[in-house]
Amino acid sequence: MNVLRWWSGLLVAFALLILLRIFLPLPFNNEIIIFSVYVIGCNFLLGRVGFISFGQPAYLAVGAYGTAFYLYYFGTNPYVGILIGILSGIVVSLIVGPLFVRLRSDYFALVNMALAVIIFFLMQKVLADITFGDNGLWFLTNVDSTPILDLTRPDQFYIFAFLAAFAVWAFYKYLDDSIFGACCLATKMNDDKVRFLGYNNFHIRLAAFVIANTTTALAGSLYAVYLGFVSPEMTSPARTADPVVVTILGGVGTLFGPIVGSVAYTGMKDLISKYFGNWELVIGILLVFIMLAGEKGIWGSLEPLIKRWVFRQREAEKPAAADAGVKSR
Amino acid sequence: MSSQVLNVEGLNASYGESRVLFDISINVLDKQVVGCVGRNGAGKSTLLKSIAGFLRPRSGTISSDGVDLVGRTAFGIAGMGIKYIPQDKKVFSDLTVRENLELGSYASGDYNWEPVLEFFPKLKVLIDRKAGYLSGGERQMLMIGRAILGKPKLLLIDEPTEGLAPSIVSHLKDVFRELSKSAALVIVEQNLPMICAISDKIYALNEGRLMAEITERDKITPEFCEPYL
Repeated sequence: MNVLRWWSGLLVAFALLILLRIFLPLPFNNEIIIFSVYVIGCNFLLGRVGFISFGQPAYLAVGAYGTAFYLYYFGTNPYVGILIGILSGIVVSLIVGPLFVRLRSDYFALVNMALAVIIFFLMQKVLADITFGDNGLWFLTNVDSTPILDLTRPDQFYIFAFLAAFAVWAFYKYLDDSIFGACCLATKMNDDKVRFLGYNNFHIRLAAFVIANTTTALAGSLYAVYLGFVSPEMTSPARTADPVVVTILGGVGTLFGPIVGSVAYTGMKDLISKYFGNWELVIGILLVFIMLAGEKGIWGSLEPLIKRWVFRQREAEKPAAADAGVKSR
Repeated sequence: MSSQVLNVEGLNASYGESRVLFDISINVLDKQVVGCVGRNGAGKSTLLKSIAGFLRPRSGTISSDGVDLVGRTAFGIAGMGIKYIPQDKKVFSDLTVRENLELGSYASGDYNWEPVLEFFPKLKVLIDRKAGYLSGGERQMLMIGRAILGKPKLLLIDEPTEGLAPSIVSHLKDVFRELSKSAALVIVEQNLPMICAISDKIYALNEGRLMAEITERDKITPEFCEPYL
């Protein structure tokens, strides 16, 4: 029963995503799935560890270019490409992490933003011979069809991305419920007291940093395979706030906030851009109103109401069950 | 003969350029309760923080069972069984009582909560409540409960009774007596009746200097210690 309850939230959330797939076009669905995987790392860092990161596009680009380099220069199997993208994310996180996680949250935000700018210029200018600068790397035709799930077909790619996202969410739910999740939250609330208990808070932060950025790199790899194209634009300075904005929009630190935020953000972007050229302006104004209405974001505001409703339902079921017990005797 | 759980020699500490402790020397034997009294700003909390590894001393030595503690990290010292319970009663407010205890258990490898719940039965009732919703006394119980997991050899407790109701103070007094059967305790306290009732020795500090070391049982009384407050 507890196992079922543990999975129930995840199953409901992803069942709703399947419903979206029925009613909305495939590209929109692929976009929200990948975008929500992109955002969950930022959500974990901000909600669990207290790190606001304006550098997530850097790790997104690391994953995307890791995959793109492999598929353009070395191989044709998209699964191997995704694996290489994930490994690139782990390697870069392990290189910069020991330096970055020592910093206070505000400096952490800025140094990550600086990394995004560095990656942008590396890909745009310094490594232009192999990245082709702003023209980007096109490798859609290099990618081989694969058995079982053919990632070159958008509908089958959706199934793969959906399953990958489900696995990511199950992993983050496990983290949230684990001692490690509690340690992360404890370092956010009171760094010193974690040390009183005998924990090395540096190791906790580094592990959280690597996990979050590896997830972001996975999102980058998914983008690369889905689009068959990468360019430095994905890590441009104008894009650095996107995951933070969506995290706040969805609800910081909530498990399903990144999904809700991604649906809302992508939906608003697609809907508004149809009628209004400067859609960023409208989204900016909408965000201000959403923040003023409740700092908890969309899911952060809805979650307590849903929990209260579920609790009432359970309470209402209890006397009925008790009555049934009496009658059976 | 009891082993020396804590030995501080010629400790000098400062916050930046501001000197706070001057040539402090104290020692604590196994299972001994040591009170530390003094006015506000006397350096009592700074002494505990220096021992716990939160403040690197300018000079002097701090050792436990012959092992030098100076230069060790706070989590390393906690791992050696020297637990610091700070004054502010700030628990991990977004975590439940259970999660707070789990953090203590995981760090110390001790998952036996029976002693904790025996000392503080109220925590059993509050086990699924977020720690942020606990009263001051309940938070203190949780902090002490979390710290005693793993059977520490030395507890450094900073003003545990500050702002608490007399009934809780009395309960804590009994708990400290019981705890002293298995660990040494250094308690910074301004509540003289309480600290005198349980201490084997009292150190009195004033303006960062050690004014007195009171070891004779008949002198460990509120009346005798009053001038040091």
